Amino acid sequence: MINVQNLSKVFNKDGAEVRVLNDISVIIEEGEFVSIMAPSGMGKSTFLNILGCLDKPSDGIYMLDDVPVQGMDDDELSQIRNRKIGYVFQSFHLLPRMTAWENVILPLIYSDDDSDMKEKAIKALESVGLGDRINHLPRELSGGQQQRVAIARALINNPRIIFADEPTGNLDSNSSAEVMNIFRNLHAQGRTLVVVTHDPDVGALADRIIEMKDGHISSDRPTNIGPKESVQ
Amino acid sequence: MRILRMASQALQAMNDNKVRSFLMMLGVIIGVATLTIISSSVMGARSQVMSRVERFGLDQFMVMAGAGRKPGVPQPTPTTLKVEDTNAILSEVSNVKDVTPQINRRDIPVKYQNKNSYAVMVATNPNWSEIWNTQAENGRFFNDTEVSRLSRVAVIGQTLVNDLFEGEDPVGKQISVANNPFEILGVLEKKGASPTGLDLDSRIIIPLTTGMKRVFNQDYITNIKIVVNDTSRMNDTVNDVKMLLRERHNLAPGVEDDFTIVTPTLVMALASKVSSTFNIFLILISLVSLVVGAVVIANIMFISVNERRAEIGIRRAVGATKKDILSQFLIESVTVSALGGITGGILGLVALKLLSTFTKMQSGAILIPIILAVICAVIVGLLAGIQPARKAANLDPIEALK
Ligand SMILES: Nc1ncnc2c1ncn2[C@@H]1O[C@H](COP(=O)(O)OP(=O)(O)O)[C@@H](O)[C@H]1O
Ligand SMILES: [Mg+2]
Repeated sequence: MINVQNLSKVFNKDGAEVRVLNDISVIIEEGEFVSIMAPSGMGKSTFLNILGCLDKPSDGIYMLDDVPVQGMDDDELSQIRNRKIGYVFQSFHLLPRMTAWENVILPLIYSDDDSDMKEKAIKALESVGLGDRINHLPRELSGGQQQRVAIARALINNPRIIFADEPTGNLDSNSSAEVMNIFRNLHAQGRTLVVVTHDPDVGALADRIIEMKDGHISSDRPTNIGPKESVQ
Repeated sequence: MRILRMASQALQAMNDNKVRSFLMMLGVIIGVATLTIISSSVMGARSQVMSRVERFGLDQFMVMAGAGRKPGVPQPTPTTLKVEDTNAILSEVSNVKDVTPQINRRDIPVKYQNKNSYAVMVATNPNWSEIWNTQAENGRFFNDTEVSRLSRVAVIGQTLVNDLFEGEDPVGKQISVANNPFEILGVLEKKGASPTGLDLDSRIIIPLTTGMKRVFNQDYITNIKIVVNDTSRMNDTVNDVKMLLRERHNLAPGVEDDFTIVTPTLVMALASKVSSTFNIFLILISLVSLVVGAVVIANIMFISVNERRAEIGIRRAVGATKKDILSQFLIESVTVSALGGITGGILGLVALKLLSTFTKMQSGAILIPIILAVICAVIVGLLAGIQPARKAANLDPIEALK
């Protein structure tokens, strides 16, 4: 499903080149639950943004469902973000003046199927346990509830892949547990999940952990094997 | 339709930030209000000019005694235009259908019992009524017999009726006009003010002969109105009359005319000239305010794009294309501007009504300015919105989300 070959990302910072991702190659199959772990500043978000078609690599190949992403124009990339991908951010990124359901329908506005938008939004909110919060504004919700609204939004177009960038980074442990529980359910439904995290407890819930260091993958292993036993 | 969903998002954003939307509208409201006032006035003025020309008569022209008036130069009363000129024009110039001479004199004291007023006296022939399209609506106009008898009879306007007769029927009453006793034969239909501001209802019309021999004791007249048969030959006829009068007045070549000819075309030109300077001024004001309106919209849109970076990033992340973002912001600026245009248009018309410049406005003079206003506003909104909207559309989603 996701096939990355020799991928690099170089930023220009004050005239100097900063190579954030360096020659990364990885394959993620349909239905996998992968966590990406690394200290902050190591390029996790940069990598996820490229996978999520929000950013483009400086070099290398990214094939999504066997189609190279590089050659796509803005309309095609937007359509992929809209249908294939659900994105969850650390700071929720809800529109503050819109109610929960209005936030959730946002992807439907940019898709061709805009039938029964509110009905679908209510269903999505119910699936994350917020059926009684549909008319609340973000500021009237707790952090955990806001993140669940964001997850409902990511799910409304029924995408096959969920990317989450430190989804529990702003949450207390109870809310984190709720969010991770939802992710496990999504995985059980057969969706592909890629979750970037700091938190080893969160990372441990995935089936596979990819660790990054100095712009490349330093470790890639199933969760049940400890880091020291990993074979490079 | 996708564009309708973008529109609904734009409307929601406008509604969520009413103060911002109102500020954006302000310049357009002012600009369009002025523009509406102008275009309505221009259209009103134009139809007024047309009706004035029609009232003057498209098949008529007028010879006035004296060379053209020079502003600020006092002139002695011209005495060269004679009744005989009138007869000569009728008999010698082809294409002339009818003529009516007249003597005008202002500030004539009139008196009935103990009431006084001042009148504009017109001494003329019975065909004046038809040629100047002014009937006696109560009683009758004088006839040829009364002209040949130099009768002291008169037809008076409604202002005089109001001044002298309180509800009394004036027909058959004796009044004193410049110390001559006159019998009132009839009352003229109401005409209002003339283009030069003269109260046409303060006129008293008497036979030309009576005026010349009994009141003014003069053989010269003020003007001659001439009716032609064939309007298409108007210019030739005007020329013939001019040549005839020059000959009769013994004017050597190179000497200025001692009369002035007023044609319908001239009336039209004079009438439209009055308003044009004022209009240019107002058009400048409204153009300036429309430009200011556009600049205000563009600036607020730029600020708004900056404030809404996160929103733009979120929309892009969930699948909005650049075009979607562009349409949302363009629709917002065009809608705000169009609403400002409608508001300004209505305000302008309300202002016009309050000023009551044109109380008899035709429906065209209302609808067309409003349509014009909204078109202007939409153009302003498009021009003002395009750059901010492009900036919004081209924001890097990741940068926008930081
Ligand atoms: N647009 C950018 N321009 C320059 N440097 C950037 C840009 N985005 C990220 N970086 C740099 O790339 C590195 C990795 O950033 P990021 O992917 O956010 O790391 P992480 O998510 O692992 O904390 C950081 O050093 C950051 O400063
Ligand atoms: Mg990060």
